[in-house]
Amino acid sequence: MVDLNTVSPKDPAKRYYLALGLEGSANKLGVGIIKHPFLPETGAAAKDNSHDCHVEILANIRDTYVTPPGEGFLPRDTARHHRNWCVRLIKRALLEAGVRDACAELDVICFTRGPGMGAPLHSVALVARTCSLMWQVPLVGVNHCVGHIEMGREITKAKNPVVLYVSGGNTQVIAYSDHRYRIFGETLDVAVGNCLDRFARTLKIPNAPSPGYNIEQLASQCKNKETLVELPYTVKGMDLSMSGILAYIDSLAKDLFRGNKANKVLFDKKTGNTKVTVEDLCYSLQENLFAMLVEITERAMAHVNADQVLIVGGVGSNARLQEMMALMCHDRARGRVHATDERFCIDNGVMIAQAGLLQYRMGNYVKDLSETVVTQKFRTDEVYVSWRN
Amino acid sequence: MSEEITGQVRTYVTDNIPITLISQGAEAVVYTTPIHPYLPIDDSTKGEKYIIKYRPHKRYRHPSIDQALTKHRTVGEARLLSKLSQIEGLQVPKLIACDVYNGCLWLEFLGQDLPQGAGFSNLKNFLWMHAANDPYSNVVRETLLKVGHQIGLLHWNNYTHGDLTSSNIVLVRSQIVDGWEPHLIDFGLGSVSSMVEDKGVDLYVLERAIMSTHSEFADKYNAWIIEGFSNVYKLQGKAGQKKLDELLKRFAEVRMRGRKRTMIG
Amino acid sequence: MLQTKLPQFPKYKVDISLFRDVQNSNELKTKVAELPYAFIDAKTICSREQLLSAVYRALDEVTYNKMRTKSLHSECLLCLSPTSNIGDAFHKFGIKEDSREVICLQLSKVEQHEVPPFHVFVKGIEVAFDDEHLGQFYDKELLRRIYKLDSSSQPQSRESLSRAVVNAIHLRGL
Repeated sequence: MVDLNTVSPKDPAKRYYLALGLEGSANKLGVGIIKHPFLPETGAAAKDNSHDCHVEILANIRDTYVTPPGEGFLPRDTARHHRNWCVRLIKRALLEAGVRDACAELDVICFTRGPGMGAPLHSVALVARTCSLMWQVPLVGVNHCVGHIEMGREITKAKNPVVLYVSGGNTQVIAYSDHRYRIFGETLDVAVGNCLDRFARTLKIPNAPSPGYNIEQLASQCKNKETLVELPYTVKGMDLSMSGILAYIDSLAKDLFRGNKANKVLFDKKTGNTKVTVEDLCYSLQENLFAMLVEITERAMAHVNADQVLIVGGVGSNARLQEMMALMCHDRARGRVHATDERFCIDNGVMIAQAGLLQYRMGNYVKDLSETVVTQKFRTDEVYVSWRN
Repeated sequence: MSEEITGQVRTYVTDNIPITLISQGAEAVVYTTPIHPYLPIDDSTKGEKYIIKYRPHKRYRHPSIDQALTKHRTVGEARLLSKLSQIEGLQVPKLIACDVYNGCLWLEFLGQDLPQGAGFSNLKNFLWMHAANDPYSNVVRETLLKVGHQIGLLHWNNYTHGDLTSSNIVLVRSQIVDGWEPHLIDFGLGSVSSMVEDKGVDLYVLERAIMSTHSEFADKYNAWIIEGFSNVYKLQGKAGQKKLDELLKRFAEVRMRGRKRTMIG
Repeated sequence: MLQTKLPQFPKYKVDISLFRDVQNSNELKTKVAELPYAFIDAKTICSREQLLSAVYRALDEVTYNKMRTKSLHSECLLCLSPTSNIGDAFHKFGIKEDSREVICLQLSKVEQHEVPPFHVFVKGIEVAFDDEHLGQFYDKELLRRIYKLDSSSQPQSRESLSRAVVNAIHLRGL
């Protein structure tokens, strides 16, 4: 039995909760404002209703810190970006949501406690604390991954899927069990998004709108889809590793740019003609990485007997990944794959508000400011998921 | 979905080889058949059963990845079984045939039906069978010591199983009255590994499996398994003791943090 | 004579005979290229499963991959070998001038016309092709050397030797 109405809305006359969510764990700064209607039937419900809150999204604003091609984003520059934009975005969000008196109207302020990059996380937490003190509104610290999961569940209404969480900073396969989002499989080194981002840097392609998106475009332009460039395939049990593939494909790209004719993979032995293009490399990289992700997802599905998959995180917006996952789900159990669009699968403030509000409604909010210390390492299964059966 | 896969297998094993599905994992589908792939049907093969482990073609991945991976995994498992069969005292299924181009492995069928309808003779069912009346009897203790012994041999020789659940330990009747010989099966996730971490994870997965299905008696059961396991290392003198201590320490760490390493952001 | 088919390859038939006290090995050796059989020195075969697993491997390769040698018979000889060197395989497993125990193998497509039976060419005494007889003729040390099986202090039983050999046959070149 889960009582999602453990904490009532601030104003008893109001029949809804209003939450402000702040996200800044990487280079995206997101501010979201959401509304959960107060539904008496969700109190002490036997069923798990937390994926069906009838959420209304009042504002979803994001500004991404984009670096020039060939460069990645550094913590201190990212933090500076967040500090520059945070107040502006919050003001704009409040306006868009029609919130005139934050102090009176907001039930809770939710912010990303972790995991992520230290300085950016810290900048946003600072703003959250300040607003909380200023407006006398309670605070909730949210796990970034749980934010993605809860947003995905709410948008797609997927009841109990296996979750593939793939972003620049994370790659995990998660299944819910007994109040925890348990990690079944994960990367042993870098995240898949990170792998794609770094390859994009090697290729010196633009970082706007996102490096991964540009790799996806190049891959789709590949004219030679029958022949793949052979890359290492590194699934290890339920986990996977990507640093080896990255190192190898980086070296291929460099050889290609330098015109290193000695490389037989790239250049014809006799004529010296180029056999492989940048598009081919992007296509092969995607096919390889995504096949590995789908494989470990399938393993988790078999383990827990699930027939649905939910993909969350920035890399989840990739159409090819969604397509491959759908094929696997269908073949496995006539199941289906759920995915959200770029508004929600890329880091945003709304997801933090969603997870945070669920936490708040169960009574888990910050009692002392010392609890709001951010942390770069914050495993998904450390969170006690009180809002599910 | 399994009908389509079974259809694929039937196409190339032909109607001469009747197959019965017995399990369907993420990566492979397992069948039994009464027909040996190359020995003639006579007294030695009549009444016998064999296992066909098939890795189906996966539509979602690019055909060249699919072919390469299926072949690599099939050969990898065959190679592992071959190496393990050379280890004195270690009991694993015999490799009968390796049909790499079709992703098929033919293996020895191990185990039998337990009495009183208790099911197939894997460790899980065996422990269930004894749970009602004699959970701590001699035969249970002896069997679990031997289970530990098998895992000990595996790890001492620097191999890991990769999926050590109580369903992957099959008991075969031994010559001794009432005795059982544990055999490890399904090395699809197995590998050569000298890393304490991997071995710790092997032990942890089995410990969890026993706890989740036989929680009441799990403590004793796991203790016996570790006892049998430790004996293998202890026979190797000082070096063995040192390795054992290191391994058990890591096992405790894995237990504490639950299998996974801490994340980096 | 053992007349059998491998169930997965119903288009082929296999005939195998075992002869002892063979008198004309050197003659047979010279005729190897022209006769439609494989002649194998029985010293190198410890069990039925060893030879038949090689036949299986040969048919598997021929059907789903490619033939490496000129005939099905030489393919079988290659598949007996732990390495992929064809000449080496013939040298190790093929009939020698002084072979006294010889195995004749005929592997062909079912519809192929009949070939003369083995005893037309082999001057020796035929015995049943089974593990009991093979057990009398095989040379344990020779097999260990050919398949590079480390000889531990304990003598290996024929079953475990056969198992190790079958493994090597299946994993050759993979």
